[in-house]
Amino acid sequence: MSASQSAVRSRAEAVKVSRTFDWMILFTLFFIVLGGYHIHYMLTGGDWDFWTDWKDRRLWVTVAPIVSITFPAAVQACLWYRYRLPFGAVVCVLGLLLGEWINRYLNFWGWTYFPVNFCFPSNLIPGAIVLDGIMLLGGSMTLTAVVGGLAWGLLFYPGNWPIIAPLHVPVEYNGMMMTLADLQGYNYVRTGTPEYIRMVEKGTLRTFGKDVAPVSAFFSGFVSIIIYFLWHFFGRWFASTDFISGENL
Amino acid sequence: MKLLKDKAAKLSFVALLAATSASMLYTPTAAAHGEKSQAAFMRMRTIHWFDMNWSKEEVKVNDTMTLSGKFYVFQGWPETVDKPEVSFLNVGEPGAVFIRQGSWIGGQLVPRSVSLELGETYEFKVLLKARRPGDWHVHAMMNVQGGGPIIGPGKWTTITGSMKDFVNPVTTLTGETIDLETYNLENTYFWHAVWYAFGLAWLAYWVRKPLFIPRSIALESGKANTLITPTDRKVGVAFTAGAIALVAVSMSTTNEKYPITTPLQAGLLRGMKTFEMPAKTVTVKVEDATYRVPGRAMQMTLKITNNGDSAVRLGEFNTASVRFLDSAVLEDTTGYPDDLLAEDGLTVSDNSPLAPGQTRTVQVTASDAAWEVYRLADLIYDPDSRFAGLLFFFDEAGKRQMVTVDAPLIPVFI
Repeated sequence: MSASQSAVRSRAEAVKVSRTFDWMILFTLFFIVLGGYHIHYMLTGGDWDFWTDWKDRRLWVTVAPIVSITFPAAVQACLWYRYRLPFGAVVCVLGLLLGEWINRYLNFWGWTYFPVNFCFPSNLIPGAIVLDGIMLLGGSMTLTAVVGGLAWGLLFYPGNWPIIAPLHVPVEYNGMMMTLADLQGYNYVRTGTPEYIRMVEKGTLRTFGKDVAPVSAFFSGFVSIIIYFLWHFFGRWFASTDFISGENL
Repeated sequence: MKLLKDKAAKLSFVALLAATSASMLYTPTAAAHGEKSQAAFMRMRTIHWFDMNWSKEEVKVNDTMTLSGKFYVFQGWPETVDKPEVSFLNVGEPGAVFIRQGSWIGGQLVPRSVSLELGETYEFKVLLKARRPGDWHVHAMMNVQGGGPIIGPGKWTTITGSMKDFVNPVTTLTGETIDLETYNLENTYFWHAVWYAFGLAWLAYWVRKPLFIPRSIALESGKANTLITPTDRKVGVAFTAGAIALVAVSMSTTNEKYPITTPLQAGLLRGMKTFEMPAKTVTVKVEDATYRVPGRAMQMTLKITNNGDSAVRLGEFNTASVRFLDSAVLEDTTGYPDDLLAEDGLTVSDNSPLAPGQTRTVQVTASDAAWEVYRLADLIYDPDSRFAGLLFFFDEAGKRQMVTVDAPLIPVFI
């Protein structure tokens, strides 16, 4: 067989090879994204995602969406512009959550005995589905960035509220009021995480009374729009084949 | 020859596997928390822990023990460490083997960070509830923002029983009694499973179709529009709208189920109640201080003046949680950790009672292997070669008074 001949001999064989290739790429993509996105999110979101007593209505709501829209934007750019596949954000978040759950269960619980109800990850899937849906329906990076990015920020807190609300029930403890999440942070000793490094309820957003979560979510959504643009271009650059010269093939 | 090479390669591979497995499976018990690695000047010149007490050495799962004592916030706090304006009373333990049921400074609960004053003494107590069986090294610890963890003395404590019996009941302000150990776990798993299934369904819809090669070819040949079908769009609308609807409905039902919730609580506690130590009637001036490297001994020349109305003797020198005692004056009956206790480690050239109004210059030697074991001798490598500690004097009635010392230290190498 010469180099110019096809490696497959029939259409059926071509389809089979193509599907095998699909699964190989998808499998590899899933785990590469899982690793890269997980490290990125641990380094940038870190404690806000690790502990329930960091999941507040101001900073967690603001920081987590901003730092987590990165990989979804980049992978979405690659999959959409090269293949018209609108599942970049979802595949990223599914990978991230799988990695996070393995980490939280085996490391946080298995090695250091922190209860899973104290160290579960944040839920990012609602925003990812909407981000992919808008890319599919609009087919536009600008529309996805503006509408999808905003939705990413806005959906984060309500998407997590059913999970964290039970931990925001107040309790009186030795003469002080705290939430059950605060109590978890106090009860389950973290030798290396003193209370003062907990960045919660800080800031100057004091003119909205108790309703600061929607304001924080809007702000997070606006910044997510900018981060989406930035990382979308990273993704497009990374998915480019311009650097491969045809003469060298 | 080839056979030999193959065998060698095979054996090397087996050896590599064995070595990798051994290194992965070998998990020795952690014997300490790095307290010996912390710079000696940090331990000597920041927080001085004393009167430490671990109420039990063995405790069953669900039973409690207390860790209590006092700490003196050193007046000569080093310049290189941020002052303890934001500090947190913590416990040094390997994971949450005990839960912290309560911690108090001066009788006030301190679940949050506190502001401490230099030169003051505070009384503290930590109530610990046993959770995970094993032998654990339990320390008092003070985290200082900008300074890091300042670890106190640690003692081995045994927890017996089974962790599966552990419960952590709490009654909320809405009147519900829950077990915080497992509370909300099913709800967490449920919502994560629901959303993960939602995401997988979206992915499954797309991956059942040919993906990369055919779509790439279609795109490059200008047929991008054919790749998204009307059905795809309908499915997209359904998933997008479905996700938003599920978020809205689940949030609404959650609010109905939990109508009373409060934000996380945070804030610095100031004005902590200090502990009044007995008034000092003894003054001490450090004339000089040397550390004899070969002899693992620190020698101080102290000029001691007794301004009280009762004769006093020096019974203890405490630095970095290591206690050097003169057994003729003081014997420890508190069960203080052996490795931190030099029962006869304090020698005073003349430790006869110092009468009221008298001044005496004495040579005081604190010698013990602890200088090396606890790496206090490394003080000579610190940027600010000073030592500090607490001296405890006892009068004829057995009353104790505490005097601090803080002076340059000269190492002696020969």
